[in-house]
Amino acid sequence: MHKVYDLKMKKKTVGKTRHVVAWMNKAEYEHVLEYLFSKEPALQKHALHRISAWKGRFGQSTPVAVESTADLVRCQVLDSTGQLEVNDLVLLYGMALVRFVNLITERQQKRVARPLRRLAGNINIPEWVVNLRHDLTHRRLPSLKWCRKGCGFVLDWLHQEYWSRQMGSQLTEDWNSSSEEEDEEEFAKRYEEELLRRQKEIEAHKKVRELLISYEREQFQTYEELAKQGGQRGVWPDASADLSWILTQIKHFSTEARDVLIDVLMQDGFLIPTAEQLESLDIDPSEDSVDMFAPCLPRVFLHFWLPCLKVLNTSIFINLILEKLFAELSNEPSSHRTYYIASWISEIILCNSKSELKAHKRLKISKERIFINRLQFPWQNLISTCVNAPCPATPFLLRQILSDMDKPLPHDAQQNLLRLCSIYTQGYHENTSPGPSDPAQPVYTLQNLQDRLKSNTSQNRDTHSSNHAPRSVQAPPTEDLQEKLSAETIQERNFALRGSAWSVCTDKVPWKQYPLGKVPGQPEDPSCLMVECYSTFTVFDQQVELDQLPQHHGNRSGPLQSRVSGADGPLWTHSDLSKLKAGLQLF
Amino acid sequence: MTMKVHKVPSRSQNSTKRHGKNKWRKKIHRLDSSLLNTGPGTAKLEQQITKKEKPELKRLKKLYTKPIPENSCAEEKRKEKATSGTFAHVHTNGGTELDDSSSSVDSQEWSEYANSVLKNGMESSTSPKTDQMEEDGLQFHAHFDRIHNRAVLVMKQGQVLCFRGKCLLTCLYGHVEVLGFTIEEGQQPYPLFSPPSHCPLTITALGNNPPSSKNKKEGLLEAKAIVRKYFSSEPSKKLMSEVDSDSCVVLLEPLDTPLTRFLTSFSELSEIFGLNSKELKSQAAVYNPVLSAVGVTALRGPCAQGLVVSRSYREAISSLLSAWAGEFVRCPIILVCGGKSSGKSTFNRHLMNSLLNHTASVEYLECDLGQTEFTPPGCLSLNTVTEPLLGPPFTHLRDPEHMVYYGQADCQADIDRYLESLKSLWRHVSGESPVIINTMGWIRGHGFQILIDLIRLFSVTHVVQLSFGNAPQCQLLTPDLLRTARGWQTHPPTPPTLTEEPASHPSIRSHVFFSVQSEFEGAGTSGVMQHQRSNELRDLALLSYFSQLQSPEPGPIRPLHCLIPYQVPHSAVAVGVTHCEVAPNNILYAANASIVGLCCLSEKVMGRGGPVVLSQTPICQCVGLGVLRGVDMARGLYFLVTPVSPSVLRHVNCLLLGEITLPKILLTKQHGVEGDLPYITTDYSFEVQGAGKLHIYKGLTRPGFIKSNN
Repeated sequence: MHKVYDLKMKKKTVGKTRHVVAWMNKAEYEHVLEYLFSKEPALQKHALHRISAWKGRFGQSTPVAVESTADLVRCQVLDSTGQLEVNDLVLLYGMALVRFVNLITERQQKRVARPLRRLAGNINIPEWVVNLRHDLTHRRLPSLKWCRKGCGFVLDWLHQEYWSRQMGSQLTEDWNSSSEEEDEEEFAKRYEEELLRRQKEIEAHKKVRELLISYEREQFQTYEELAKQGGQRGVWPDASADLSWILTQIKHFSTEARDVLIDVLMQDGFLIPTAEQLESLDIDPSEDSVDMFAPCLPRVFLHFWLPCLKVLNTSIFINLILEKLFAELSNEPSSHRTYYIASWISEIILCNSKSELKAHKRLKISKERIFINRLQFPWQNLISTCVNAPCPATPFLLRQILSDMDKPLPHDAQQNLLRLCSIYTQGYHENTSPGPSDPAQPVYTLQNLQDRLKSNTSQNRDTHSSNHAPRSVQAPPTEDLQEKLSAETIQERNFALRGSAWSVCTDKVPWKQYPLGKVPGQPEDPSCLMVECYSTFTVFDQQVELDQLPQHHGNRSGPLQSRVSGADGPLWTHSDLSKLKAGLQLF
Repeated sequence: MTMKVHKVPSRSQNSTKRHGKNKWRKKIHRLDSSLLNTGPGTAKLEQQITKKEKPELKRLKKLYTKPIPENSCAEEKRKEKATSGTFAHVHTNGGTELDDSSSSVDSQEWSEYANSVLKNGMESSTSPKTDQMEEDGLQFHAHFDRIHNRAVLVMKQGQVLCFRGKCLLTCLYGHVEVLGFTIEEGQQPYPLFSPPSHCPLTITALGNNPPSSKNKKEGLLEAKAIVRKYFSSEPSKKLMSEVDSDSCVVLLEPLDTPLTRFLTSFSELSEIFGLNSKELKSQAAVYNPVLSAVGVTALRGPCAQGLVVSRSYREAISSLLSAWAGEFVRCPIILVCGGKSSGKSTFNRHLMNSLLNHTASVEYLECDLGQTEFTPPGCLSLNTVTEPLLGPPFTHLRDPEHMVYYGQADCQADIDRYLESLKSLWRHVSGESPVIINTMGWIRGHGFQILIDLIRLFSVTHVVQLSFGNAPQCQLLTPDLLRTARGWQTHPPTPPTLTEEPASHPSIRSHVFFSVQSEFEGAGTSGVMQHQRSNELRDLALLSYFSQLQSPEPGPIRPLHCLIPYQVPHSAVAVGVTHCEVAPNNILYAANASIVGLCCLSEKVMGRGGPVVLSQTPICQCVGLGVLRGVDMARGLYFLVTPVSPSVLRHVNCLLLGEITLPKILLTKQHGVEGDLPYITTDYSFEVQGAGKLHIYKGLTRPGFIKSNN
């Protein structure tokens, strides 16, 4: 239980949650609020009746303030009838007041009981109200005058502290008393969900790593066999049973935990090979052998990953991976990493380019292809991210992007961009800071450009991050949610119901538009469900004596009573009450 | 089921005094108890039943004459550990009912053998297993058939798979045990559910029946042939090499039902068949792609304990089984009680599963309103159980034989109505099968009195009282106590006059008492992890109930509001509120968009315009629950959504409102609705004074009782 209090701190991060309340809408809440504090007994009684229904809905989670208000207003209503004696009223008021003080301060209690006076003081309940409670419980009963005064004060307090502030109509914030919090269970639950989510992520990471490692192991084996058979020129065989099993798993992860999969792929030893891995693929790992300005993926290494990338070939995934590659590039990784990241970007763009695809289609060599069909890249964004992640190969990559755009930029713009880019990355390459040392160089333009683009990309990322959200957040298609029953089904059901008052609703109603609790044509009026006329049905005593076991259980029931009642007649007639009493006989 | 029943009395050579033989067959009338009751005193009866740990109950006939498999030593050690009683968590409750009868010859030999192994310079029986053994046990030899989307798992005899998730299990060869129930080759597939809300399920390989007719080699060939039959392609050699004549082969298939589809359609419940946070933290998952392909995650380490069976637990189960197997005057009526989270529900499932190994059906009287086994919460019911329960309650909701809607998750508000409802259910008990009575976790004060009443009212023959920790949570409900204690409704029988012998007094029937110590971790503390809190479990039960509205074929999940409702005129059905007083003219405010119990009054309900309001809560048959989806004031109609079939619904003439509310997510998530949702707000602030519900601080310390004075 104590742990829970620490959790409260974390609560602030939680956004607006949907709460279930007993009132249908704000109008009903305000309707009751208005009537409760109207000082008009008939209206107050109306509000009390509605609150009786609210208590039915809320059950044990009826707000303390609502319950206290109802009790106190009930005293005022009974007082106003003039039918009760002074001593009756003191007892009534007394109970309502004692309950109010106890219940409202209950929440303030911590582990050790603290004096009510102090607790009440914290929430601006004056000492005399607390003393009144003390008198009521432990001393001589106070006078009716004091009770009325106390009730009046407390109702004002409830009006101001609860009713006026609730449901988004907060009036004042002057009393910054220690606030009441949502159910502790709720915090604990949320906190744990958060923990669970994190833990799941770690778990997923581990799984994906294991999976990819087994993929690599399998591929290395294939490669070795291939090498044995006759050099690396040989054609890679079709995926073995084991490999296709692994691939199915990878594919599964690409939908279940896309981000995790991409994260892991980006780690050293996967899409970025380690020196050791390169050696075992007979690739020279030294940096001298490669052209940092025009990165190109070693073919063997591409083949190594091709089966995996083929199963991941969805537009969302490829776009995400491109984005991630660029993001990694902008972190200024080691030159080895930079080279391979740039190589992969280049490879992906190249594979997807119009000319390449055409050429390959003609030659029908789809084996080496990541893509079968051309994917649409968000070209503008791609340019932004590309220049946002400067590296020696940026001009090379930029050229590739520019040449492959569906709607190419004007030639001038292309040239300028490339030029700018070369200037910038040369500086980068020589490891001199690209400060505005030379006013002749329009470096500030690039800086400018970058700033603008940075904001662009961050926006971009936001839109992409929706992928992190659980799948169900993407609103499911609502088109086919509406249940449609065939004529036979309806007929069948109605046949089964034949002879009873029940039937299948055959109105042409698009139910999916009507939430639970709403029907077509229902007015917004908070009095729309009021019943003007009802009958009372009494079922008599049904106690079962075990001695009479074989008997049939029949409910002897009384005659039906029909009655038209106004809003303020007594709920039970005298005869009803006597019947009730008869039914409650205990032994 | 029948085949099961037939092979049971296999070793009953000394069954001369058993009249009960016909018990094994279904639907034979109970022996005339008056004939047998030639005056056995209560104590004598007790003796008769408890002393009968007869070996003939051992229908599984394990004769361990064949060579011991490599793994058996670790296995045996576990058993040893269990019987030594210090570490009572047992991986194998293998053959449940057998374990205690260690006096029988073969298992004695077995344990002697085990002892000799243990003494051979190895660790003492309570020390933890070595990693090597652990790893061996976790090697699950499984192969996935992609074409049929199913997996074949080969388990060594004694191997245990403790898991999370769900699947459909068919035993292809040998036999396995799950939560007390033995599944053998040739039996139907059984759904297994092991969600993080409860103790994980374990599949224990019990091996094959002794190859009496066939020798070892024949068995091996048979097993291999079975494995081959289930593959479209040749299974891997590795798997085949694992198959042995005494191994078990099970087929695991992914399980996809309206229930699982409906639950996992809510983002909050998407992991309802995953691991719980503790298991994730301790990295208890064993990575096995084949098992995960069918929806099963094997567990390892301390999280893979499965059901913790203490010695007293085992003894109680075995004695109760013998009570059913042996001769009896009255059919066993078993009452299970204990404080909150003492393991009643799991014990009940275990007991029912164990009984179902021997009988075709068990009757189950639900007296717990909060954590119901077969129904949504708030219902009291009498159920005939014929299928094993291989998952927590929310995975096996069933239509009970008889049900009464009480309307609240506890009975404190109206104990009399509670007891009367139970009495009305009791009249339907057939008395031909064993009866299990499940009780509430409320065992103090009036709760205790209610337990005394139940024992007296239903002439309970066996009481199982679960407790945890050092001190029992309440007085023990022994026969002695019952002679003097007062219940809520019942009184102790008047003491016999001096001239009469107490034993010959016919009206005093006594019961056999078992005190069971729960030794699982966290006994007595209610679950704090996700999906373990009692309110969450109640919501799961309700979601499970309303998942019956989904179409059995895979397709989109339809939220409740999208379903075509039934309609009924206001004047044709009575409406009542079980838990508080609602002004009749506001009754529809309470009823709209609420759960209602669909009940049948014998009297015809005929209103004269407007709703018919019940003046008091009746005790009547309830056929199910529905959601009062809306009220048409103009035409005077209720619209109702319910999974109850129309042929039953036609009898419903009374709607009872209770404190059982719709799970929040059913109200907060209603896709496709334009505009505001009724009863839902984002503007309610819990920061405001008095906004929370009544809050009870338990164990508030008075300032005088602590040293520092703050």
